[in-house]
Formats: sequence, C-alpha cells, structure tokens
Amino acid sequence: MRPLWTMAISDLRQRARDKSVFIFGIAVPLALMGVLNLVIGNLLSRDLTPVTVAVSVPVGDEAGQSLVGTLRSLGDIDGVGGFDVRVRPVSPSDVRGLVAGDEADLGLTVPDGFGAALLQGAPKDVTVVDGGGGIENDVVISVVTGTVDRYRAATVAATAAGRVGLPASDLAAIGREVATSLPTIALTEGRASDEQLSTTGALVAGQAGLFLLFTVGFGVLGLVNEREQGTLARLRSMPMRPGLIVAAKALVSFILGVVATTVLLTAGSLLFDVDFGSPLAVAVLVLCAVTAGTSITFVIARIARTAEQSNVAQSIVALVLGIAGGAFFPLNAGGVLGTLLDANPVGAFIRGLGITSGGGGVGDIGVPVLVLLVFAVAMVGVSRVVPDRGDAL
Amino acid sequence: MRTDGATAEPTGRGDVLVVDHLVRRFGDLTAVDGVSFRIAAGETYGLLGPNGAGKTTIISMVAGLIAPDEGTVTVAGEQMGRTAVAPKRHIGLVPQDLAVYPELTARENLVLFGRLQGMTGPQLTARVAEVTELIGLTGRAKDPTKEYSGGMKRRLNIGIGLLHRPTLLILDEPTVGVDPQSRNQILESVERLSVEGMAVLYTTHYMEEAERLCDRIGIIDSGVLQAEGTRDELVRLTGAVDHIRLSGTGDTHAAAEALRALPSVSQVDVDRRELRLTVGDAPSAVAQVVTRATDAGMSLADVEITRPDLESVFLHLTGKALRD
Repeated sequence: MRPLWTMAISDLRQRARDKSVFIFGIAVPLALMGVLNLVIGNLLSRDLTPVTVAVSVPVGDEAGQSLVGTLRSLGDIDGVGGFDVRVRPVSPSDVRGLVAGDEADLGLTVPDGFGAALLQGAPKDVTVVDGGGGIENDVVISVVTGTVDRYRAATVAATAAGRVGLPASDLAAIGREVATSLPTIALTEGRASDEQLSTTGALVAGQAGLFLLFTVGFGVLGLVNEREQGTLARLRSMPMRPGLIVAAKALVSFILGVVATTVLLTAGSLLFDVDFGSPLAVAVLVLCAVTAGTSITFVIARIARTAEQSNVAQSIVALVLGIAGGAFFPLNAGGVLGTLLDANPVGAFIRGLGITSGGGGVGDIGVPVLVLLVFAVAMVGVSRVVPDRGDAL
Repeated sequence: MRTDGATAEPTGRGDVLVVDHLVRRFGDLTAVDGVSFRIAAGETYGLLGPNGAGKTTIISMVAGLIAPDEGTVTVAGEQMGRTAVAPKRHIGLVPQDLAVYPELTARENLVLFGRLQGMTGPQLTARVAEVTELIGLTGRAKDPTKEYSGGMKRRLNIGIGLLHRPTLLILDEPTVGVDPQSRNQILESVERLSVEGMAVLYTTHYMEEAERLCDRIGIIDSGVLQAEGTRDELVRLTGAVDHIRLSGTGDTHAAAEALRALPSVSQVDVDRRELRLTVGDAPSAVAQVVTRATDAGMSLADVEITRPDLESVFLHLTGKALRD
C-alpha cells in the first residue's frame, strides 16, 4: 500500500500546484451556481404579482357577491401563500374600458338576475375579459370558472329537484347546498424527494453532482498525462504491481471528488441559504456519489489514448449524466427512459439530498445509495470488458 | 563475436542480463525478431541502430513494460515480466522521453521514485543529495523542473534511473536533443557508472557515443541483431584497415623504405610528397611512424589517421547508412 499512497500524495501535490482542481472543481461550479441561481432560480420561484380585477355585480345579488368574495380570498389560501387580488367594483359599461386601458388586468361582469336564475335553475353567463396578463390572470380565470361550475351544478341539482316535484322553497335550499358544500373527496398533493429541495437547493445539489463528474476526471487525466510525458513507463518499471498505478489515480480522483463536492455543498449552503439536513446522511451520499463518479474514470482510462480524448470523453459523460440527472432542471419520464433516468448517479445524488433536506436520515437514503453503488459496480465491470486502447491498466 | 540471432554465449563474468530469442510483433509488423544478447557486471553494452530499428521495443521488454511474444529476459537471475516485481528492483530505466514531473522539483522527483524503489529515511535523503550532486543540479534542486533547460531535465532523467544503485542501468537514447555540454556530462556519467561496476544497456543511433562508451556493441536493424562484438571485432567484419597519411618535404622515398621495415606497417604507397601507410592499429603505430619518417629525412607538415568506423560496419552489414 505504501507505493499507492506515495503516488497519490505526489499526484495531489501536483494537482494543488497547477491549481486546475481549484479552478475547475470549485471556483467554476460556485460561479455557475450563482449565475444559474440568478437566472433559473428567479424564473422558477418568483412571487405572483397582485392582480386588479374590474368587477360588475348587480346590487343585492348574493351569488355574485359570493363570487367576488372568493376572488378576494385568493390572497389567503392556506399553505400555498396565494397572491393579492384587488377587486375594483365598476359599472358593467366600464369593465372592458378599464381592461383595455390597462387600469385592470381582468374584467368580470356578473349579469343582472344571476342569483335569481341560479335559484330557479336557469342558465346565466358570467363574462370574463382577459387583459392578456401572465400566470396570475390564468389563476383568477380558473377560480372564476371553478366557482361558476359549482353554481352551474347547483342549478342542475335544483332543476332536477323541481322535476321530481319538490316544493319551490326546497329548490333554493338544494341549490345553496350544492353551491357551498365542501367536497367529500379530497385530493392531497404529495412531493417527490427531489422536489423537497427548493429551486436553489436543487441547483446547488445538481451543480455539485455535475462538477463532481468533472473533478474525478483529474485522475484519468493524470494517467493519460503520465503516458504522454513518459513517466508512466518509468512507473511501470518500478518494483510494484502495475495495477497500483491505476489504483493511485482512482484514489486521487476519489479524494479530489470528496473534497470538491463537500466544499461545493458547504459553500452552496452558506451562500444560497440551503439546508441539506443530516450531515452524516449527506456525507454518506457524497462518498457514494464520488465512488460512482470515480468508477466512470476506469472506463475512460481504457478508451482514451490522449489527454484531449480523455477531456472530451469526460465532458460528454458529465454533461449527459448531469442534464439527464437534473443538474440544470428536473427531467421526468416513464418506461425504460424513466428507469434509465432513475439509474443516473447525478439524479440519485439529487434525490438523496432531497430526502436529507426533507429531514431524512441515513436510513431513508437506501434507494439512492443503492443506485449509486450499483452504478459503480457496473462501471468497474464495464471497464474490465472494454478493450484497453491506451494500454493503461 | 557473432553475426546472427543465435543464443548468446555467457560472458563468463557473471551475466546481469540475459536476453534470449526475444520476439515482439505489433499486428503484421515484427518489431523484434529473435534477439539474444548478454551483459556482464561492469560492462556497457550498446544497441546501435537507426530510428525504428527496434531498440526501444527491446528496452521495453527488458524493463518489463511490455511482454515478449516469444523469448525471455532474465535480470540478475530472475525472469522479467510485466507484473514481475523482484527483477524490477535490479533495473534503473532512463526512458527516451523526459520522464520527470514538471510540477515537482528535482529533489521531489528523486524522492518520489526513490520511495517507489523502496528507499526510506536517511538512506534516501543521503542518496538524493549524492545523485543531485552527481548530475550537477544541487543549486537548482528546489526549483520546479518545468523551469529547467532540456539538458538539465535529461540529467535529472538519468539521475532518477541510477538513484537506487541498480544492477542494470537501461538508457534509451539519453542524449537526444541535448546541447554538447550536457551531452558530454551525460557521457562522462555513464563512463563512471561502468567503472563502479554497474552493467549498462545503452541504445543510441549516434555511432560516436557507441564507440566511446560501449565495451561491446550490438548492431540492430529491422528488429534483427545483425552482429555484436567489440568495436574492433565489428570493424574487422568489414575487412577494412587503418591508414596513416603523411605529407611534407624531404626524402619521401627514403622515409618510405624506412617505414616498410616496421612490423606494424603492412603497405606504403608514395605519391610525390605524400606517403599513405596501411597499418594494423593506427593509434598505437602513429608515434613510431612519425619518428621513423622524421629520422629518414622527411620534414612532416601533416599527419592524418583514417580508421574504418561503425558507420562503415553498419553499411557493410545492412547495405544502408546508419542515419538512413
């Protein structure tokens, strides 16, 4: 083992002196995290802006007022945060003018006799004028549509009751009941593990996973450089097993990967205010992810003959796995493609961090850890099968 | 001396290296074809041949970097192979490439390879200092080697090879691309190693280096060892002889008569004021020849020795010039 550490320490000293690891393993990813956080983070997590709705409701129409009340309550949707809807009561003739003049984002006209028609089971249309705004307008329109649909259901129920001969006083009660009752079937939204990371958290985790694949490539690059500069021949003439040379490079890859990823996650947490949860569970994930990343270098060492080929191969692998794993934005797919995406080490790393970020411990990250380790074993197996074009191993 | 690929006879002085019928093919190309030779302790053996002759491939097999398709390499009694460990303790390899780490200092390079050779502690420290002095890099030992000149890197390249006092030092074209001063330093270093009892395998395509350094020389071309022996043995293969040319004034005919009487002179031709002598060994005969000609009344203006060299040997054996 002494030659192994002798070579690894010498390699680390050289990497530290040429500063490439600091630049490409830490500084560049941190800078990229900052840029992506500014660009994508704000895009994905921006707050909804207030909406002004010009509303015309006939005086004394309870159903119409109820609709307006629903709009006002959008600013206080429990657990979601909502956004501010400013209701501006106007006359029916002013609705379109205000929207056209950009004084309101939306216009809503409740026709005369809306409430009475509802009670009698007769159809009435509510007119919505869209000012062409963003997602906020779509939300308001969806709420209006949903509310009107419930009123329509009430109308249908009241009409049906009338046809079976119920008294008129009961028809109003039935319509009111249908329009205001709470649903008996609830839809609860769950969250996938990677979605437990905030947008910024996902970016930090994704970039750490992506650049981990670049950082571990320094080991392979070192091997190819040794071949090109002639030191590999000298190393192979030393009294030690040839496999130790490759093992030393893998050890260097592993150490650099662990250090760079730890620095990235720590710096990312501090700079972008992300909490990845249990340090022990995160450490286990980092070790497994670096193991998986390092295993790829064994394959590249077999196929790359020059430093240039090694760089290109490492970059392609890192970018493909990084993008597919969700280093920049989440990807979802089903079937075989979905399985392949699930087997991606970057994806598994992000999912694992999602679990720890949501409060999970070591016992909860079994699946991503298993994915990472199986990937590592598979890559080492592939490296034994791939022909050695560079005479490296 | 021999002129074919037959099994090399023991040198009789304790063979450090035995190369026996080595064959190495790369696809359809047979890079080394049945090469055999031996090197004794304290002997410097040169492999002389043009680029592409197979010298580096032979070195790679001797150093255990690649495996031969046929044949064996035995170093200090132990069979060499790609995964062999024990025989590699006996060799010091100086590759043709500058096999040093540019980001490390000379001292760090030496310490690294010393450790990989199993050296530690005060023994390693002392030997590193000794070798640094030997290769003339003491003043620059703490500078990164990327700041060195080509000659300094070459010297460090050799220093790493002999750091652990190997039984067999393998030098693959160590003076390629080196300035004359560094080249001379390198050649002097190799001469010293031979005196200290180290066996040296030296490949070169520079005839002068082989003549200066090597006790025996193997002439290699197209992967085949064409002939081997001492320089004089190889020269004799060509049938060529030494000549001494004397030019001057005075009685050239009387001088010619006097010189014909010398046992070392086999023939004297007279051409007006010039004498052309055929001799057995020109360097040893020249003093006597000059004295005898002067005593016979010739006033010498110029003396020139012409000897057949390894270039002519190579031409004789392969039908082409060494630098072709």
